[in-house]
Amino acid sequence: MKIVLDRPRCEGHGLCEEAAPQLMHLDDDGELVLDVEAVDNGDLEAAKAAVRVCPVAALRVA
Amino acid sequence: MQPLKRVVVVGNGIAGLTTSDSLRAAGFDGELTIVGDENHAPYSRPALSKAALLDGGEMTSHHLPPSGHGAQEILGVSASRLDVARKAVILDDGTDVPYDAVVIATGSRARRLGNADLDGPEVEQLTLRNLEDALTLRKRLISKPSVVVLGGGALGMEIASGCLSAGCEVTLVSRDRPLVQQLGPYLSDVFVASAHRDGLKVASSRAVGLRDAGGHRQVLLADGSVIEAELVISAVGDVPNLEWLSTSGLLSNGRLEVDTRGRLRPDVVAAGDVAAFPTRHGIRRVPLWTSAIEQSKVGALALVQGDDAPELDFQPYFWTEQFGLNLKASGFLPLAGPPGFVEGNPHDGPALMRWSHEDGSGTAVAINYRIPIPKLRRLSNTAPAAAPPLTNR
Repeated sequence: MKIVLDRPRCEGHGLCEEAAPQLMHLDDDGELVLDVEAVDNGDLEAAKAAVRVCPVAALRVA
Repeated sequence: MQPLKRVVVVGNGIAGLTTSDSLRAAGFDGELTIVGDENHAPYSRPALSKAALLDGGEMTSHHLPPSGHGAQEILGVSASRLDVARKAVILDDGTDVPYDAVVIATGSRARRLGNADLDGPEVEQLTLRNLEDALTLRKRLISKPSVVVLGGGALGMEIASGCLSAGCEVTLVSRDRPLVQQLGPYLSDVFVASAHRDGLKVASSRAVGLRDAGGHRQVLLADGSVIEAELVISAVGDVPNLEWLSTSGLLSNGRLEVDTRGRLRPDVVAAGDVAAFPTRHGIRRVPLWTSAIEQSKVGALALVQGDDAPELDFQPYFWTEQFGLNLKASGFLPLAGPPGFVEGNPHDGPALMRWSHEDGSGTAVAINYRIPIPKLRRLSNTAPAAAPPLTNR
């Protein structure tokens, strides 16, 4: 599975980072960086949790 | 504690969804049931006020990805009663849903302004609370009607901003200066100046009622004046959905007051807009997206771990986007006085500001300024003297 970011939609609220700090972080400009894009089973639930808390649906798992 | 076998979550918004997810993450593998009165999956409520008005063709920014909690979902049905002695939720179709633990996440609904003429026909008043509201509003704005927005809070201002962008003439009715109660005078000035530049008219009075005058909608103000509008949209606060709990014995002072772990009893937790919880500024409802998420995580853990679960140490995070301004704030609002720490100036560009409170806490606010939220949070928590220099933005 892969985490997909819709960058124009991202507003940098960072709720995803709190849900899955091992997979993504906001850089100094407030831009979301996906540290891990291809997620295995161990990280899948964290990835999904990050996707669900985004208030603007900028993330998805495909 | 008895092992949990069956948890019922009443409410299918972000609080119900996050509680369900968090229960699974905390190891609960029993039977999970979600009851929701809306007939569709949870969606992002904060996205509605933008999505409804600004999304180009399709409206998708409110979509949330499907959940993985594997709950049995009972949708399109409301809970009518909670029997804590018998441990059952009673639905309005008469069904009895037994539980070992129950989560109250029924949210709140839009408050509405009453008719001025009690015998007259009901005057149409749109609100923006749920998905249907957003779809209706979006459709109605196509003909660019003249709009009166009631309420100068964040939602009222977001709606007014969106209606202006949609090409409507907009008057906002607000007793106080818009946003002053939510953000304080300094930031209120910043937003009002920008709103005026965008062409917003503000009527500084209180709306006392609506009237139908031969097919025209009229808003009556406390100062005696009358505004006519083709469309009236109210954003005058929310009312928690507590009626179904009136016989539960759980309400105190008409509120659903939970402890620091979201509990009313060991087997009953509440989360989201419906719950009043302890904050540094007293027991409050904080009807915000991030508040619902934080409360839900704590409540879910409390059901699984009892007193071993961490307590909620709530630090508010608030954002709004309107009239070309994008604000993000970490810490308690409203803010008294001018900012104590400034980079830039919000009146003519990006700005980062900080206010100190008497209890030693602080609030950091960024306007049109990209900053990672954890960094904004650290800034709000740091005393100004010890604040590390901020690197490039």
